[in-house]
Amino acid sequence: MSDLVRLTVDVDRCIGIGQCELLEPDVFHLGEEDAISRVVDGATLERTRALELVDRCPSMAISLVGQNES
Amino acid sequence: MVDETMARPTSPVDIASPTLYLDGIPHEGFAAIRETEGLVWHPYGERDDNGFWAVTRHADVREVSRNPEVFSSAIGHTNLWDLEADALEARRSLIDSDSPDHTRLRRLVSRAFTPKVTRGWEGLVQEIATELVDGFIKGGGGDWVEKVAAPLPIRVIMAILGVPAADADYLVELTNYLVEGTGDNRSLPDDAYGNTTPTRLLPFNSPASFALFEYAEQMRQLRIEEPGDDLVSALLDAEADGERLSSAEFKNFFQLLVFAGNETTRTAMIHGGQAFSEHPEQWAALVDDPELVPTAVDEVIRWASPILHMRRTASVDTELAGTLIAEGDKVVMWYAGANRDPTVFEDPFRFDVTRADNPHFAFGGGGPHFCLGAFLARMEIQILLEEMVARNVVLQPRSAPVRLASNFVHGVESLDLGVAS
Repeated sequence: MSDLVRLTVDVDRCIGIGQCELLEPDVFHLGEEDAISRVVDGATLERTRALELVDRCPSMAISLVGQNES
Repeated sequence: MVDETMARPTSPVDIASPTLYLDGIPHEGFAAIRETEGLVWHPYGERDDNGFWAVTRHADVREVSRNPEVFSSAIGHTNLWDLEADALEARRSLIDSDSPDHTRLRRLVSRAFTPKVTRGWEGLVQEIATELVDGFIKGGGGDWVEKVAAPLPIRVIMAILGVPAADADYLVELTNYLVEGTGDNRSLPDDAYGNTTPTRLLPFNSPASFALFEYAEQMRQLRIEEPGDDLVSALLDAEADGERLSSAEFKNFFQLLVFAGNETTRTAMIHGGQAFSEHPEQWAALVDDPELVPTAVDEVIRWASPILHMRRTASVDTELAGTLIAEGDKVVMWYAGANRDPTVFEDPFRFDVTRADNPHFAFGGGGPHFCLGAFLARMEIQILLEEMVARNVVLQPRSAPVRLASNFVHGVESLDLGVAS
């Protein structure tokens, strides 16, 4: 059983570095206008990978929201 | 204040000495510092309190980078020496700002450097890389710096900024003087380029900064009147929370782009060229499997560590690696040390294009100051390697590189390489 989780981006912390979009282009999109990262509706990641994304965000703007989505 | 009267270990090597770097990064010195428990105090300047805490372990650089509230970029200076308040203010750019100023500025400029925007410049980079690599092959090799590593990033950043090709040489000349400003011998008189500003108020203490500011202001006026399809126009047009870049902010940012978009990528390409010339089996592996290019790019960047350090200043009394740090102490992150930390990188002194797990700190250790141009730099190096792989350009060492006496940029002035294709 895969352990899928959802993520969220704190728009006040995000400064548009884009590391998340580079690592997971299907999950994160930077806004065309404001370059702020947003999570694609309904997108999930496997927990270990999600935690890695949380860790890799240079501005510490990503966190987990849900658990055991499937 | 923290009681600092207890004996603190002092750095076994003077890693701040610019001339030490004429022989390359003092890796043994960094290893000795990494292996000392806690942090070591490193003397700098004439008075003991001018010194700094030398942070050389990967985990500690990460910790400092990611705690900007404790380890400030806005206090003192981000270079080793302190600036007086007026000088700091006059020079302030993204690099030496903290939140909320930094967040506002960074958001203004970051939309011009997203991965997507960067990919739009791919064709431009390709064109320039093809021309330079072909020229290098045709000439049978030569100075890798002058013929490939220097012109590639500078031509890219100039084209992106919208600087006319005729002015590129002039801006290259200016940035070369800026790098010189980080070393001990400065060849420009204070009034060069008609400079009237006291040099202590100028970035790198260099009159070349004055000239760059003048140039930036001209560009600003020109593009306000007649916007184009270039980065300068985009920056002047960018708005966050109803605010735009001020004239001073624009000039400082233009200067930062011209410097950082040029020297750092150049330096990575230089050390990459040298590394492949000295490790032909790594080049052969890459040619054999071009899918390794992306991992090779990061290995080149780790190997090069173009920027050797950045400084922070403690905004409060704090503790790092078990060492007490007093408010106002300088805390200097040596990326050059972190990028060879054996607790993170297996066999760190092996240049390995297959190194998949490569969390190097050449773009910084994370946190809000993470390199704005990281995608652009990666893309330029990737395209250069792809062009070379496509032609199987086998670089051969001819003589030792002529290195720069700088503790800040891992710079090389010239590197003679041969080519066998």
